[in-house]
Amino acid sequence: MKPPPFQYAAPTSVAEAVELLAAHADDDARTLAGGQSLVPLMNFRLAQPGYLVDLGRIEELTRIRTDGDTLVIGAMVRQSDAEHAPEVALRAPLLAEALGYVAHPPVRNSGTVGGSIAHADPAAELPAVALALDAELVVVGPQGTRTVRAADFFVGPFATAIEAGEILTEVRFPRRDGGQSFVEFARTHGNFALVGVASVIETDGATIARASIAMSGVAPVPVRATAAEETLAGSAPDDASIRAAVDAAVAGLSPSGDAHGSAETRTDIARSYLRRGIELALTRAQDRR
Amino acid sequence: MTTTDRPAAPPVRTHKEDRTWVGRSIRRVEDPKFLRGRGGYIGDMTVPGMLYAAVLRSPHAHAVIAGIDVVEALAAPGVHAVITGEQAAELCDPLPDFGPNPAAHTWRCLAVDKVRYVGEGVAVVVADSRYLAEDALALIEVEYEPLPAVVDPERALEDGAPLVHDDLGSNCAYERTFDFGDVERDFAEADVIVTDRLRWHRSGGQPLETVGAVADFDHATGALTVHTNSLSFTSYLFMVAGTMKIPANKLDIRPVPAGGSFGSKLFATKPAVIAGMCSRQVGRPVQYLEDRVDNMSNCDHHGSDRVYDVRLAVMRDGTIRGVDIDTVEDYGAYIQFGVGHHGNALAQVVGPYAMTSVRYRVRAALTNKNQQGAYRGFGSEVNNWMLEQMVDKAARELDLDPVELRRRNFIREFPHFIPTGNVYDSGDYDAVLDKALELSEYKRWRIEQAKAREEGRCIGIGLITAQERSVFSATEFWFWFDEPGAPVTSMPESVTLKVDATGGITATLYSCAFWGNSPETMVAQLVAEEFDCDPHDVSIVYQGSKNGLPATGPGGSRTTVMLAGAVEGATAKIKAKALRAAAHLLEANPDDLEWVDGGYQVKGVPEQRKSLADIAVMLHLFKHSFPEDMESGLEDSKVFDHPYTTMPSADRTDLGVFYPFMGHACHVPVVEVDLETGSVSFLAYAAVHDCGTLVNPRSLAGHIVGGTAQGIGTALYEEFVYDDDGQLLTSSFLDYLIPSAMEVPELRIAHHETPSPYTLHGIKGGGEGGRMMAPAAINVAVNDALAHLGVRVTELPITPDRLRAAIRAAESARGRE
Repeated sequence: MKPPPFQYAAPTSVAEAVELLAAHADDDARTLAGGQSLVPLMNFRLAQPGYLVDLGRIEELTRIRTDGDTLVIGAMVRQSDAEHAPEVALRAPLLAEALGYVAHPPVRNSGTVGGSIAHADPAAELPAVALALDAELVVVGPQGTRTVRAADFFVGPFATAIEAGEILTEVRFPRRDGGQSFVEFARTHGNFALVGVASVIETDGATIARASIAMSGVAPVPVRATAAEETLAGSAPDDASIRAAVDAAVAGLSPSGDAHGSAETRTDIARSYLRRGIELALTRAQDRR
Repeated sequence: MTTTDRPAAPPVRTHKEDRTWVGRSIRRVEDPKFLRGRGGYIGDMTVPGMLYAAVLRSPHAHAVIAGIDVVEALAAPGVHAVITGEQAAELCDPLPDFGPNPAAHTWRCLAVDKVRYVGEGVAVVVADSRYLAEDALALIEVEYEPLPAVVDPERALEDGAPLVHDDLGSNCAYERTFDFGDVERDFAEADVIVTDRLRWHRSGGQPLETVGAVADFDHATGALTVHTNSLSFTSYLFMVAGTMKIPANKLDIRPVPAGGSFGSKLFATKPAVIAGMCSRQVGRPVQYLEDRVDNMSNCDHHGSDRVYDVRLAVMRDGTIRGVDIDTVEDYGAYIQFGVGHHGNALAQVVGPYAMTSVRYRVRAALTNKNQQGAYRGFGSEVNNWMLEQMVDKAARELDLDPVELRRRNFIREFPHFIPTGNVYDSGDYDAVLDKALELSEYKRWRIEQAKAREEGRCIGIGLITAQERSVFSATEFWFWFDEPGAPVTSMPESVTLKVDATGGITATLYSCAFWGNSPETMVAQLVAEEFDCDPHDVSIVYQGSKNGLPATGPGGSRTTVMLAGAVEGATAKIKAKALRAAAHLLEANPDDLEWVDGGYQVKGVPEQRKSLADIAVMLHLFKHSFPEDMESGLEDSKVFDHPYTTMPSADRTDLGVFYPFMGHACHVPVVEVDLETGSVSFLAYAAVHDCGTLVNPRSLAGHIVGGTAQGIGTALYEEFVYDDDGQLLTSSFLDYLIPSAMEVPELRIAHHETPSPYTLHGIKGGGEGGRMMAPAAINVAVNDALAHLGVRVTELPITPDRLRAAIRAAESARGRE
């Protein structure tokens, strides 16, 4: 279980990294972030990049900052740093809560926020969070900088809108009010979840004003539970509304099964965790008011 | 067979009452070196000039090897040799195999002609590094012609199933039905016959360190030295030498510590043979250390994989009369240990219950999977699970309290011969049960359960009472046959004790090094008990097979009992010589001396004394102070043979005594089932074990905790899943789920001590610990949580898929009503 030969460089700026990716495109150059997914894949020889561009020494990618109402997380911010950052707790509690479910602390000490989102594992937490919060992904390449909406970013299992030669540099989380929750079901603690649910719910007195709900593990990409969102918007914050929203969302699911859960079991679990996630976000929304 | 027909039991021993060291939770003497990273594992070993081997694994479950092209691999950088299965078959003979018909299901270190499971080795590369070796593996081109795979054990036994071994002519490697006691009468007279079909899927021991070896063949002398984390094979060295086609007196296997085994390193010859074959081929030392995928797919040590159809004959008052067991076991592609796993089951097949008859039918199916080996329990834990599910079902069908039903059937007189002929040496099952009821707060949890049910929560309590047999005899591997090929009866373990000129004691152990159990601590405490020294001052070393004394190795919870017997025997020899020396030095009659506090002294005259150090220095350095016939030095050994084995009857209606030291335990997990997700979590867990006199309570508690954690894995998480085509879907820890500290609850543990009448201090084995009980107890707990919904789970592991399917089925059944 050893990786095949590869070359390695550790640039100190984004510009230099982009140049290296371009120069070694023929060697199937890949960026290396925290190494918590790519390195095991290389050890299994399921990924065999000939050239690794390690982003670990690019200082500018390791910052957490705010830009007006937007929380900006550098792509190389370690998951454990984001998990415990006061700005994250304040402005995107959903992200902080979800980070607590990412594997185990030693993995989060190396793994990065950008790395997880760019890896786009359909069972992972952070892509669902980005989707629920309508995050913007900033990508830099030879043609310059562009911004991609989360809704357009995840295009398939382990596939994103990042083009060859581009690097994810920042994740921008716009401010969202209301209650936020992340819940997931994994067979063992820290393992890949069968189902994850990221919810943001805003209430307006006696009604639910707006709901954003994203799910992981139920499709090849993280998906918005649009039917549930539409059912909840404008309804009373009660059990009947939640039940209707869950039923609407589950009706649209067709997860695929594997050794850890058949399609039927995943649907059962999705039903349960959608309800739990919505209830929790709603309770928090009401507590905030 | 009546009692009078039986060979005499060994003499009943009187146990020392005021023990100093045995029974104390001393710190393990092994810990300092392991905690400092100085354990000396195979992966830490570097030998000058050492090369590294990697094995090419089959991607097919069943395929003809039509051709192998190694030209490119041989030309790759750093590659010294590439050996295909065909070449390996010329270099080595088949691997040591205790199966029923080795010639018809020949097992080799690399596959020849066809592959029989995903992961089976087809070629090995030797290179300057493991990296380069793996690079070269990718360059080997194997032409496979896929064959249909057979994956389900019952389908494997049907006519027309693809044959795993053509020479065998079927996939049934063994079949026989045994009757013990009057089965017909017990079932004819039973008020109720409880029946069930149960399925235990395969899991396996998952040591942190995989199996490996460093081999060094010396072409100048023809000698092969192998360092391995398996056994030293002293008793079976000739078999390994035979495989290597070298004289046994040219082979030295040296044991190094293992990073865990749980049975899975027992008799693991393949890595040693591969390393040895490669070293002989390239003339340099070679390391072969399995990686995780090698280990999970090709370790030859998957655990039990059984289908049961069981009938239990029960009277209305709860008396259990007999059990009729029909089991099909999926052995995988080979069957190296035969059906010894069922010998384990037969040792305690009736559990702690006084039933009078047993019918046992076993069919061993061969399939396209990695073969079975040993995993903590060796098949007896599966029997415990099966029997406890049946007893639990009987309680429900008879509407009797499950605790009282068990208690009503307890064996209370010892020694007790069970219908199969094995003996239970001693026990006090009521005492263990009473302690467990108290420790687990059983009554309080029943109240909590009722309260929770009103809130719609499903809490279950899983009380089980079950056996832990210890110290196996070789007969269980061959009493299956009327004319066994190798009716071996030796199962020795040896210790050498040396008292140096300063009085320091060194104990030499044979069979294997540290495996995660604590042989050094056990021996240090036992030696300290004999010589009144500090156990931490006893030095423990290991000796390889060269100059090694007969030794079988750990397995079946035998290590402590066997080492204790060997320490006692070696001590007696040393003390006899020391007594004679002391008498001579003190000018006293030996009969007037007594051993007191680490030396011999004249009875009643404590100032007339020689300490062990006084005696030792004289014996080592002052030959002429002693009579002519006394040799210099103070060292002796004991080869300790199994203390209580009797032969099976010719007609096999009585299998004799083969697992006599019978431990017992009661486990009480309290679980909560989430109906929506089919997941199970623990609210509490209590365990009371009785494995005779304790040597080190803390290390035994470790066996209970670790074994229970593994049992939780078996019950809820761990499974080698092969799909219908024989692909292994769980070949790394990404998919093969092991419970972590987050899934394992805090255990409440208590011990009860019923000494064995036949062993030193009354010790029994306890190494298999909680894994003997936990799967049974957790299954009972889950069923207890769901019984009111009409849900009963009969398949392990209890995954969300299986549990949700059972809940959905019950829901739709209720819907139909």
